[in-house]
Amino acid sequence: MPMDDKKIKLRLENIYQSYVVNNEVRDAVLNISLDVYDNEFLVVLGPGHCGKSVLLNIIAGLEKPISGNLYIDNEEIHGSDKRISMVFQKLALMPWKTVMANVEFGPQVTGVNKVNRKKIAQKYIDLVELTGFEKSYPNQLSGGMKQRVGIARAYTSNPEILLMDEPFGQLDAQTRYSMQEEIYKISQKEKRTIVFVTNNIEEAVFLGDRVILLSECPARIKQIYDVNLPRPRNTIDPEFLRIRKEISENSDLAL
Amino acid sequence: MENKSGSKSLSNSERIKLVQSQRKRTKYQNNMLSVIGILGFLIFWQVITITGLVGSRYLSPPIEIINLFIVKLTNPNPDGAVIGVNILSSLTVALSGFGFAVIIGVPLGLLMGWYKGFDSFMRPLFEIIRPIPPVAWIPLTIVWIGIGLPAKALIVFFAAFVPCLINSYAGIKQTSDVLKNVAKTFGASNFTIFWKIGIPSSMTLTFAGIKVAIGNAWATLVAAEMLAASSGLGYMILMGRQFGRVDLVILGIVVIGIIGIIITMIIVMIENKVVGWKKL
Amino acid sequence: MIKNKTLGMNAEERKAYYLSLLYLILPIISTSLLILLWSTAANNSEFPSPNETWERLILLFQEPIKGLNIFGHVWASLIRVFSALIFNWTFGIAFGILIGWNVKCDALFTPLFDAFRAIPPLAWIPLITIWFGTGEFSKILIVIFGSLASIVVNTQAGMSNIDQLYLNVGTVFNANERQKLFQIAIPSALDAIFAGIRTSTSAAWMVVLAAEMLGANSGVGFLITRGMDSMDMPLVLASMVAIGIVGASLSIVTQFAERLLCPWTIKRSN
Repeated sequence: MPMDDKKIKLRLENIYQSYVVNNEVRDAVLNISLDVYDNEFLVVLGPGHCGKSVLLNIIAGLEKPISGNLYIDNEEIHGSDKRISMVFQKLALMPWKTVMANVEFGPQVTGVNKVNRKKIAQKYIDLVELTGFEKSYPNQLSGGMKQRVGIARAYTSNPEILLMDEPFGQLDAQTRYSMQEEIYKISQKEKRTIVFVTNNIEEAVFLGDRVILLSECPARIKQIYDVNLPRPRNTIDPEFLRIRKEISENSDLAL
Repeated sequence: MENKSGSKSLSNSERIKLVQSQRKRTKYQNNMLSVIGILGFLIFWQVITITGLVGSRYLSPPIEIINLFIVKLTNPNPDGAVIGVNILSSLTVALSGFGFAVIIGVPLGLLMGWYKGFDSFMRPLFEIIRPIPPVAWIPLTIVWIGIGLPAKALIVFFAAFVPCLINSYAGIKQTSDVLKNVAKTFGASNFTIFWKIGIPSSMTLTFAGIKVAIGNAWATLVAAEMLAASSGLGYMILMGRQFGRVDLVILGIVVIGIIGIIITMIIVMIENKVVGWKKL
Repeated sequence: MIKNKTLGMNAEERKAYYLSLLYLILPIISTSLLILLWSTAANNSEFPSPNETWERLILLFQEPIKGLNIFGHVWASLIRVFSALIFNWTFGIAFGILIGWNVKCDALFTPLFDAFRAIPPLAWIPLITIWFGTGEFSKILIVIFGSLASIVVNTQAGMSNIDQLYLNVGTVFNANERQKLFQIAIPSALDAIFAGIRTSTSAAWMVVLAAEMLGANSGVGFLITRGMDSMDMPLVLASMVAIGIVGASLSIVTQFAERLLCPWTIKRSN
């Protein structure tokens, strides 16, 4: 597959991450290098809680790798960058703020004026179909609704790269399926570069243009899969199932 | 583009070194700051008293306080007892009142939290006692039973009783229903569940209550001794004031503080032994 | 009558019904027993009966002590409490935020603060009287010493226990330190701060009493000692009742204020 005609949006080069736990050094990420193409929906798939979330944290600027570099549009970045935004795994809405206040948090702290940021926020609140809930507090919403607010918030800060850290992991199976469909629709309407982390193979093949399979701890890239199926994906299409089976057999843990 | 460590991979030892170097520096800095804080305060205190910035009527230098402590080890003036006697007197009262408060308050709280009938019966009595600050009991107690050891211990008891009861009550109430149900499916009787699941689950809050109780007890003790006693640290402070001996007053304050800290440390040690498993 | 109500119930429902009746009756039994005990004790000794206490309370309105009736004394005590609390809350919360948020400030100030905290507030009274005499300022200062620790400790705990997740949200969305402090840390710590407000209020109420008992011309604490000195037992008891009522009201008011100002915490506690 020719890679030169595709623009590289985000590049990770030789990323290492380790921690000291009980006076022992534990490696989380071992020498991962990765190119993420512009506007692609990239899925990072891996077992357990090792590696993939750490990788996302490093990209988001929440952690500093012990070694390695990151580049956006070929320009090196350090720490959290304005062009990157994130949907968190655990429901991370601030309970003391209303839905609107949560969604407009990004532009609010970067100094966008009130009128403009409310406009943008409203656009994404409508996009995730939460119109009418602007004044509600998070504890009045269901799990799925809260995560939709998280998605609206991530989009409102006008990112070029969207990170999603197992955003549907805490939802029940039913809600999870409908959210997968929704995120697919949203990502089609508002094209961004997306890096989506999950431990669910079906979810990975359903959503991703490419799927990066990580090994178990310490994380290395095992294999990169191109998912060339037409969208919207059909989960019982034989080709879908074939890819699913291939990934499943290759992965380190039963997923 | 220059890479930090070249494009080849890092060896094990290189990685370990990178991780460990980051952590050690901040710990030293913070410990140094704490020491500076305390020393700075003591030096400041010493300086303002020695240079006469603050008159000797109002404050004595720390060195004189230490000196006085040594003197009071054997000298009963001016309050009538050596410092050892005062300390012992205060401790006896505090510990007996506190001891009774724990022995009565904790089981009562646990029972009230578990058995609804017991709760309904005891509730009004408790709610009447609760809003009355322990200090307010002092005049009543004095009229009832004079100003001896039982009186002081009773006042301390009132002060320590309420937090013990409230916290053990709250502690057992928040026992996880899941755990209770598991025990029920094994056929355990209500009392067994109470004893083996309810009580251990309540230990964190119960100990928190005990710590509050000892703080209250120690504080109320001082008040009791100031109002109704002829010995003890509170009394010693009062005498210091009476005789215009500011150094005695400060010595009393310092000793009270130190003993309070020691008692809390002991309780924390006991707590770690009993519920150490929770902190893992 | 009870038989009629239980007609439509099966065995289990009936048992539950009888139990709920029992739970209603028990508190009434215990309160009655208490009053009985009180009256018997009163009959057999100097201890004042409920009646006498009530009458003494009424008398206080007709013959004020030192120029104030019971409301006047309660008000005097409350003013001291509020003056002290206003200072405490402003200074204490600010200080608590400072040491809870900034690790270096914490290292510098906390050991000193802990040392001072270990000293029971009432132990300061003689020293404060040496410094500032026995006027209103001394009393308010004593109350400040007595209730400052609670608000600082609770605020600091609230600041230290902020969920890292919210701070991470701040980092990812490019909030600076000041924004993280005011928009994330402090709101997150609000329920702990309110716990501190509640604790410091009840602590202040207790300390003001002690301070008044040791030397004052007004206030409920003064009333109690006055009763004790003149062997006016009904006065002592009447004052204790007043103290209990005001204390309980204060805690109800603070709880209410918390619900008003932190609406998002209401559902969480369920």
